[in-house]
Amino acid sequence: MQVEFFGVPRERAGVSELELQADTLGQMLNALAAKVPSLGPFIGGEGRDLRLHSSFIASLNGDRFVSDPGTPLGQNDRVLILSADAGG
Amino acid sequence: MPFGYHGRYLRIDVSRGVGEYVPLDEMVLRQYLGGSGLGVRLLLDEGAPGFDPLSPEAPIVFAFSPLVGSPLTTSAKFAVVSKSPLTERINDSLASSGFAVAGKRCGCDALMIVGRAPELSVVIIDDGDVRLESAVEHRGATCRETESALRSRLGANFRIASIGPAGENLVRYATVSHDGRHAGRGGSGAVLGSKDIKAIALRGTQTTEWAHPRELTELSRSLSKRSFGPATAKYRELGTATNLLTFNRFGALPTRNFQSGSFEEAASLSPEQLTATRSKTRDSCVACTIGCEHIYSLGDGGVRVEYESLFALGSLCGVGDADAVLRASKRCDELGLDTISAGGTIAFAMECVERGWLDEAWLRFGSGDVLLRAIELIGSREGIGNLLAEGSRRAAYAIGHGSIAIAPQVKGLEIPGYEPRALQTMALGFAVGARGADHNRSGAYEVDFSDKVDRRHVTLDAVRHAIETEDKAALMDSLIMCKFLRGVFTDFYAESAEMLRDVTGWDVSADELRETARRIVSARRQFNLLAGWTPAEDTLPERFLNTPLPNDPAASLNRERLDDLVAEYHRQRGHSGAHDAE
Ligand code: SF4
Repeated sequence: MQVEFFGVPRERAGVSELELQADTLGQMLNALAAKVPSLGPFIGGEGRDLRLHSSFIASLNGDRFVSDPGTPLGQNDRVLILSADAGG
Repeated sequence: MPFGYHGRYLRIDVSRGVGEYVPLDEMVLRQYLGGSGLGVRLLLDEGAPGFDPLSPEAPIVFAFSPLVGSPLTTSAKFAVVSKSPLTERINDSLASSGFAVAGKRCGCDALMIVGRAPELSVVIIDDGDVRLESAVEHRGATCRETESALRSRLGANFRIASIGPAGENLVRYATVSHDGRHAGRGGSGAVLGSKDIKAIALRGTQTTEWAHPRELTELSRSLSKRSFGPATAKYRELGTATNLLTFNRFGALPTRNFQSGSFEEAASLSPEQLTATRSKTRDSCVACTIGCEHIYSLGDGGVRVEYESLFALGSLCGVGDADAVLRASKRCDELGLDTISAGGTIAFAMECVERGWLDEAWLRFGSGDVLLRAIELIGSREGIGNLLAEGSRRAAYAIGHGSIAIAPQVKGLEIPGYEPRALQTMALGFAVGARGADHNRSGAYEVDFSDKVDRRHVTLDAVRHAIETEDKAALMDSLIMCKFLRGVFTDFYAESAEMLRDVTGWDVSADELRETARRIVSARRQFNLLAGWTPAEDTLPERFLNTPLPNDPAASLNRERLDDLVAEYHRQRGHSGAHDAE
């Protein structure tokens, strides 16, 4: 699966997108924290219950916003991570 | 009189060149606070809904707030409130900085201007003493030129709000500018222009006291500290321009007069690309710890870049040449033009040309030179510019061919950079907005960018969320606090009550402020009812209701669904008929 970054998350990640292996959103965040340490401070919680900091949000394929770490992800899914205050 | 207020406003009749202080009842201040709320209350008392907005008797109010002058971050703001010459409905636009602080130091909580000056003039308020001086020599000057010339003439400690050539020429979406910032929407610049007022210059020495100075200082420190945190990082580091690529990815970036929700050249307008070839500096309003203004170099100067200007003059007009978009934005600032309405009206005309409804073959999507030429013509009302200066709704009625279906406006106000089919809670916010299509008086897009709704298939459940954002905006715009601070509050109403208690000494609660917010929304509706509002106005142009977004068929909205949302909005607001506000 693919992770895309926008705005401040992109600044922190230093890339616009990257590929990860994960079956759930929680796994994806775990893998992300390991692969991009600069995003570590924006990923909180423990074990399977990892969540994004409240200033970031995640959308599954641009279709719906997701936060439950158990949200299943498929191989072709794209998770978009952006600043929580998207407008303004 | 409570702390934080002077308890009076300064009413200036520019026909006679005189001003008088008018007392303000403490109950009115507590019920309407300041900014937008106080402004609309004063307009209602003055009978403004019944006046032609460009007539001498039509009042225009510059309202400050109890927080202005306090150490609270982002509080140096003022609201410019009048009947809009673009929509003929309520209009309140906010701007920031030293004018708010200096205006309040003139010993008043608001200024009201009525009448028409005998010639183009500047209103000078020197610590409360009012006089009129000729501004004929400044005719045609840009906003910045006017400010700098008047400060040289009157003294560097004067703060100045002015109009550009667009305001003088009564362009219906002309702005009032101060220190490079604009009370942008709805045409308050044309209202001042109709009074032959080029500028208001003021300075003062009269301060107000705070009820609980120690607590206020502590609260201000805590708020400032939080304003450096992650909740405002987007504004500090990238500015609103960063929305462009995000919106493009979500198919929500209005493109070529809303014919599409994504723009193939969006990347060239992104902050990343803008900084690749230009230097960038940051600036902030007076008394702000966030500093969201990102100023990009352009020629031998710079230009403030905001998402709304990039979208309106970029993707909406099909222009991907960043240099041209920045030049267009700068030119709008100089002329005193609202970039959203300018871009929206030009894009509408471009589509009319494309469809063969308007005989201006040069006016085509995609060219930066065409965009710049159109802006010049609008500012001077020359050629086709005279029609486009009227805004897209009036232009559509003149052009005919049913073009009103594609005029990108609600109640006459051009739609900002949020594609309504892709962001349907925002679509509702636009439809019911008292000021017209408006992302500042309704933050409904926040709901679309959350897990509360399915943004492309919203249900009636979205309505209460949209109402919440409208109420919150009404309170922020009346207190006044900058909306970019909104993410730092854990309990916005409770913290606002604390601020107001420390400033005024009132024993105000979060619940009272919720009621205050609803009262202000209701007063805006009352203004519109008196100005002739009808339920048919609460809708979107036909294009959004019968055509899905070409690149995203799931993003479709129909009249029945929008009507249901609007009806539910009025039901939840307790609106039962034509005379139900208040
Ligand atoms: S965040 Fe931006 S708009 Fe708001 S007060 Fe600060 S500089 Fe002004």
